[in-house]
Amino acid sequence: MRDTPLAEKKSQLLDVLEKETKTESPLREFIKHFRRNVLGMIGLFGVLFLFVLALCAPLIADKPEGYGDMANMLQPPSKEYWFGTDALGLSIFDQVIWGTRVSLYVGFVSAFIAVIIGVPIGLIAGYYGGRISSIGMAITDIFLTLPILPLMIIMAAVLGTGISNIALIIGLFSWPQIARVTRAETMSISKRQYIEAARAVGAREYQILFKHVLLNAIPPILVNMTIIMGVAVISEAGLSFLGLGDPMSWSWGTILQNAHATGAIIKAWWHSLFPSIGIMILVLSFNFLGIGINEALNPRLRKK
Amino acid sequence: MKQYLLLRSVRAIITVFIAITITFLILRVMPGDPTTMMLDPRMDEKAREQLLHDFGLDKPLFVQYLLFLKQLFFHFDLGMSFVNRAPVLDVILSRLPWTLLLMGASIIVTSLIGIPLGVMAAYRKGTVLDQLINAFSILGIAIFTPWLGIVLLYLLGFKIPLFPIGGASTPGLEGWAYIADVTHHMVLPLATLTIIHLANYVLFMRANMVDVLSEDYIRTARAKGLKEKRVVWIHAVRNAMLSTVTMMGLQVGTIVGGAILTETVFAYPGIGRLIYESVKEHDYPVLQGTFLILAVTVVVVNILTDIVYTYLDPKIRFD
Repeated sequence: MRDTPLAEKKSQLLDVLEKETKTESPLREFIKHFRRNVLGMIGLFGVLFLFVLALCAPLIADKPEGYGDMANMLQPPSKEYWFGTDALGLSIFDQVIWGTRVSLYVGFVSAFIAVIIGVPIGLIAGYYGGRISSIGMAITDIFLTLPILPLMIIMAAVLGTGISNIALIIGLFSWPQIARVTRAETMSISKRQYIEAARAVGAREYQILFKHVLLNAIPPILVNMTIIMGVAVISEAGLSFLGLGDPMSWSWGTILQNAHATGAIIKAWWHSLFPSIGIMILVLSFNFLGIGINEALNPRLRKK
Repeated sequence: MKQYLLLRSVRAIITVFIAITITFLILRVMPGDPTTMMLDPRMDEKAREQLLHDFGLDKPLFVQYLLFLKQLFFHFDLGMSFVNRAPVLDVILSRLPWTLLLMGASIIVTSLIGIPLGVMAAYRKGTVLDQLINAFSILGIAIFTPWLGIVLLYLLGFKIPLFPIGGASTPGLEGWAYIADVTHHMVLPLATLTIIHLANYVLFMRANMVDVLSEDYIRTARAKGLKEKRVVWIHAVRNAMLSTVTMMGLQVGTIVGGAILTETVFAYPGIGRLIYESVKEHDYPVLQGTFLILAVTVVVVNILTDIVYTYLDPKIRFD
């Protein structure tokens, strides 16, 4: 008889835990709201479109290699060459289509690396707090303020300019943003009732941290990943434009660098226009996707 | 206020130290032989060993670090440029004024345009004007900086030759003619940087203003019978400016990146152009030095924004 109140309390807490973690399928609700979000849907279709282009590149365009059609150097767009040709007579259309692969690859790898580094830092800082957390966040802030492009330039110059190196370097400097968001989310989630409930029923620290805290922090982390992917693609293009790109693969930045280096920039507008449009579509799509996810998750931001 | 500024200064010093340490580590810890990157490859074996010894590159890493700090703080020595055969610091300092001019002008022009636009968008939230301002700003995020430069160069430098297509000045001018010429050369690079960074200022200011305009003290100010213009531009803007100034400080690092790319397109003789040339020539000491100098620049600008912040925020001013 003596332990009945305790058992009762425990079952009550379990109920709270159940309710807070499993409201009527949050995923289904999210999909419902996301589908009504115009910007988010445009972003999603944009991203899917680029994915299809990247996957089907060999079917759509010839792989740009070696010397092109020497009789047709720097030709404006025509029926034969939709996006015109470059100073070697290679088709810009082929280069832009194959460039989609490189850009998406860089975007995903960098965002993945940023998450691998940033999430644990933010999770620990946010959950345990205290002095270590403030020191960690101060260092994170310092990394946010440093001029990152010159830093990436030195590393790319020293490490060598393979496309994976570039993705690695960009990822290594994108984590502070993820760490900040994860920490902020962790702090607010840790204070919620169901975390207390989980602790009361004897869940282990790592269980709480990974199952309850991390799982609930995933949406804002995803939103920030979409932003990082856009920034990463622009950074890769910037590094390539400065001559630090992978000369063996066609990225949109490499095409622009070629235009700049061969002096075709003034003479041939098509040389720089099409890769730039590619960058623009990719960055806008990922940003819109992020805005859509954010609005679908956040009742306060939803439009009526 | 003193305590606030003291805390900020400590942070600035730590930032500079982290930048120095990264600069030191990058060339020494990275894969590959550091000597090939620190010293000119065209040197003969004996001179090379002598130099290795002189630079202390045959000593343990920590001793090397201390030597590096000593060289930096007591002799302002960042090494020698491979290409120019001159001290790295001199090479960089001869280019720095142009970059500072471009960056400073860009920050001022972007604030002068971006902040009022953000206020207007917030005040007319939901109208066509608001949506136009928003759409234009988001486009600024997605445009690749060099391409915008190229477009401006093509249209306004080549098709309709209103502005010079490169460089920062015409040699042989003096006095007012020189200043006018420098301004003339700066228009296109400045326009490029401004359009790219406008989005951040506008969107940030808009979000802050939307929050501030719904506060109680704004209603109080209106109830007191103050003119609407005064309520918006004095009461609200001042408070919305607080976090915008913080954002401006955080953005300086990004503006440095934009300046590097813009200078490359316009052959502007600043640090960005120097980086572009040094990448091509594998001039590692110069690359290392530019990062350090740019990091210090960012820290200095951050201190300036902190001072502006203390001036704007009475909570800190009267503490």
